[in-house]
Parts: sequence; structure tokens; C-alpha cells
Amino acid sequence: MSEANQNTMSAVGTPSGNVSPLSSLSAVLWIAWFSLREMSRRRRLLSLAAINLLPVVVVLIVRIWYPDQGGTAQLQLSALTHEVFVPFLIPIVAIFVGVSAIGEQVEDGTIVYPWTRPVRRRAIYLGRLLAAQSVATLLLAGSLILCFLIMVSSGPGVITWDFLKLYFFTFLVIFLGVFAYVALFAAMGTFLKKPILPAILFAFMWEGVSKVPARVQELTLRFHLTNLLPQTEAPPDDLPGMLEALLTAAVKRSPVPEAQSVAVLVAVTLVTTAVGIWLLRQKEIDK
Amino acid sequence: MIMGAGVENSQARITADRVGKWFGEVIAVNNCSLSVGAGVVGLLGSNGAGKSTLFKMLAGLTEPNQGEVRVFGRRLRDEVGWYRKVGFCPENEVLPEWMTGREFLSLQLRLMGFDKAEVERRVAYWLERFELTDAAGRRLGGYSKGMRQKMKLAQALAHDPEVIFLDEPLNGMDPVSRKQSIDLVRELGEAGRTVLVSSHILPEVESMTSQIILIDRGRVLAEGSVTEIRDKIPEHPTTVALVSDDPRHLAGFLIGQDHVVSVGLDPDERVIVKTDHAINFYRTLPVWLLDNGLAVEEILTLDDSLEAVFDYLTQP
Repeated sequence: MSEANQNTMSAVGTPSGNVSPLSSLSAVLWIAWFSLREMSRRRRLLSLAAINLLPVVVVLIVRIWYPDQGGTAQLQLSALTHEVFVPFLIPIVAIFVGVSAIGEQVEDGTIVYPWTRPVRRRAIYLGRLLAAQSVATLLLAGSLILCFLIMVSSGPGVITWDFLKLYFFTFLVIFLGVFAYVALFAAMGTFLKKPILPAILFAFMWEGVSKVPARVQELTLRFHLTNLLPQTEAPPDDLPGMLEALLTAAVKRSPVPEAQSVAVLVAVTLVTTAVGIWLLRQKEIDK
Repeated sequence: MIMGAGVENSQARITADRVGKWFGEVIAVNNCSLSVGAGVVGLLGSNGAGKSTLFKMLAGLTEPNQGEVRVFGRRLRDEVGWYRKVGFCPENEVLPEWMTGREFLSLQLRLMGFDKAEVERRVAYWLERFELTDAAGRRLGGYSKGMRQKMKLAQALAHDPEVIFLDEPLNGMDPVSRKQSIDLVRELGEAGRTVLVSSHILPEVESMTSQIILIDRGRVLAEGSVTEIRDKIPEHPTTVALVSDDPRHLAGFLIGQDHVVSVGLDPDERVIVKTDHAINFYRTLPVWLLDNGLAVEEILTLDDSLEAVFDYLTQP
């Protein structure tokens, strides 16, 4: 410590007599801002960014090597959204950003610092969650924007109304999906000491039931995300394609109203966030 | 001003009333009661004695299984606004690895409600005070153990709290930083802050305060000044050295007197007296000396160190 400052402690003055906690909104925003900066520097973010380049690489390959065989941009985007973003990328990004958002701080003990500030625990939770959701959204949106730029680089002709509509709804699905999944996995991470495996099982086994018939599909987030997307399917032009189309039609439930899907996704986000806040309030530092 | 441990409840800033905490079958803290007013108080105990658990309960980070704790008469866990007046330096070294030192300190002050200018002023002051200014832009993950300790101390003190919990704050510090931190703790105590500082290293606590709370296996064994605690153990001999120009005469006189257990001479020709009741011995000694024309130039209490007290109190 500096000798020059040895006797200047009083220079910083005394704390305000006000003992009201910081307003929840201010606390949430400050925690979110610093958490966003902290999360954006983690090494695992590089891995997630690399995974998010997968659809970009696919679109690039199609654009360069198969300019005439990749179908329309609309079909490419539809395939990417249905087969890559919704079933794989959104959950995987949400898992790795979500489970560590709050639970990791509790586990490693760094939660002690915000807990010893005049800030309510719900503000701490919401700030961290907001940062995690922002990071996940930026990663996925970045990937989608790169895909868009590559697709439209072939000329303005690909920009049809249906393409833009699908593009907009894909953004909406990413937004809603990230909020719901990250909120769910953040609560899971707050509750469990080792949440990764249960989260993976949920995302890739339970959510896989959207491929089976009956109303059980409606209990998955994936079903409701897919339900929000405009249907864009290429007509089958061969026997296997026709058989697959028949099978799909046989097991497929009639879509529920889009408003219902939005309501389900919002409700999952809100309920899991409330549960996560409650869990954090029960937590104790045991390290 | 009431200083230290064992103060009356009306003047206490920190109180614990029959507090207990257990994890499964392991009792971490057992029926502890204490009250702490202004000044520096050392919480002394070996590793695993329950110091950190007690700290966490006092700071509202862990709920006691029994009893209750209060800071400023409040339950911090329920009234978080009072954390504005509380500083907490945890024992473990964890810091958010991906934050820079400046960001970390800024966030802590932001959450205290300070505006941007005040945050910058305080961050600059405390980084300078702990000689961390050059490292302020580096990630905390790259800090040495000593630097991390200093950063933990800085975040606990930067908002100028009135009650400060420092859990093993000197761990990993180099000798110079250790000395400066000890001086800082004393300075805080003299400024009227309540500083509860824990350590398992006795000389560390002794260098910061004479007011101690002894804890072992989850129980508070004693609280007060080292001397007071020492005097609470009349059956345990206190060793006193008397410097006299006629030590043999003095030693001969003391043999057989009340409260004198044994008398001897050390190589420096000092009279070494073991007494079973220090207060009565000190009270009677001047009378004996005056009545018998004996002179004593200096009185030293040889085992008035925490080490001796602690060893004695924690003997099974």
C-alpha cells in the first residue's frame, strides 16, 4: 500500500446515511451490464461462436459450390431454422450460457460480492439472466445475419416477401426461444450443482418428443417455436420424399394458434425466472 | 466509546444470540453468543473451528439453524439496505476471473449506489492505496494470491462501511502488505469502525487488537481482552517475571505467599513467579513489596500471549 495514502482514509468520506437498497431497475441494469462484459470474455464463448458458424458454413458451401442446386434462399433458410437453429443451436447456446449464468457464481462463491451489497437477490438474478439472454441472442442473431448476407449476395432476386417473413419469424423464434430456454436452464443451474447433463437430456431427449405424435408434443418448447415459423416445404419429387411427407403428415399435430405458442413460451420464461429467483433466495454460501 | 468484544447489547453493532449451525451431523457453530461494539475484535480459532461459518451467519450469507444474529439490530438478509454500512471480505480467494480489477471494484461501488464520479474517485483511491493501480486493467484471474487478497480488502472497505467483517484477510500477503494491512485495520478501529477480523494465526490477531473472541469446535470459549480472558482462568497459572536488584531475596519472600504456585530464577536473574490468580497477585504484590522493603523495577507477564491462552483453553 502506498505510504503517501496511509493517513488519508477519511478522504473518501463516510457512507450516506440512506440505507434504502438500490432501486431494482438500476441494480438489474448495472449487474447486467457488468455481467455482459464478463460473460463476453469467457473462453467458452469462442466455442459457442464457432458452433454458431455452422449454418454460416453450410450456406457458404451451398452458395459457392452448389449455386443452382441448393433450392431457393427461402428453402435454405427454412431448412436451417427447422433443422439447425430450433432443434440444436438455440438449446445448445442456451444450455452453456444459461446454466452458468447464476449457478456458477453460487458454486464458486463469487455471489458473495453482490450478496453483500444493498441489492435484492431478485435484482441480482434478473441482471445475470438478462446478460445471459443478451449474450445468447447476440450469438444466434449474429449467425442468422451472416447467413442472410451470404444468401442475398447472389442478387436482390432472393429477397421475396416470403423470404423476409420467414427471416423475421426466425428472429422472433430465436428471441423467444433464447428467453425461454435460458430462463429454464438458469433456474436449473441455480438448483443443481451439476446441471449440464440434465440440461442436455432435456434439450435433446425430452424436446425430441416433438417428433412423436399426440398432444405430448405441445409440452415441448420446440413444438411451440416451430409452430411460430411459416411452413415452407419443397414438394417431394421422389418416392422416399413422398413417403416421408406422408409419415410427417400422419404424426403431425394440427398447429395450435400462434398466440398460444407465444403465451406458452412467455409463461415458461416467467415461471422459470420466478422459480430461479425463489431458489436463489433460499441459497446459502457454504464455501 | 465502548471498544471491542463483550459490550452491552445497547452499544453492540454486531450481536449473536445462541446461534447454531450444522451441516448434516457436523456441528459448525454451537450455541454461540457474542456482542461486538466499536473497535477491532479478533475472532481467533484454529482451522475448522467455525470462524467462517460464524462470519457468514453474521453477514447474512447463511441462515443459522438456531438463534439469531443482528447487525445494527437488523437481519441483513431481510433488510439488504443495511449492507451499505457493512463490508465483508470472504476467506476464499474467489473473484470473478474475467473481470478486470477496475471493473470489479467499480461494480461493487455502483451497487452501493455511488454515482459515476464518486465511483471513479473511490476506485482510484483504493487501487492506489493497495498499490493495484498498474494491475487495474488486468483480469482478476491473472492476479497473484496477495493481489487478490488486497482486492478483496479493497471491495470490503471502498464504501467506507461502519461494520467490517474480515475473514482471514492476511492470507497470502507478502510481509510488507501484511504489515500495511495490519496498520490499516488498526486505523479503522481507531476511527470508530467495528472490525471483526478472523485468523488462525495468533500473532496476526495480537498485532491488530487485544480484544479477542476465542472459538473452538464451534463454541465461543471466551471473549474480552487477552488479560481479561487470562484472568478468567484462575486455576491456570500465569507466569510473571519480576526484575529486581535483589532477586534472590525477593524470590525467597514470595515462596509460600497466597496465589503463588512456584518461584524460580531465569538466566537473566529475573524472578519467575507462577500465580494461580493473576488479579489478586497483582493487587497484593505492591502491599507485600512496601511492607517488606522490597524493590521491583519491572513486572512482565510472560505468558499473556494469545498463544498461551489459546493453548490452554483449547486443551481437550
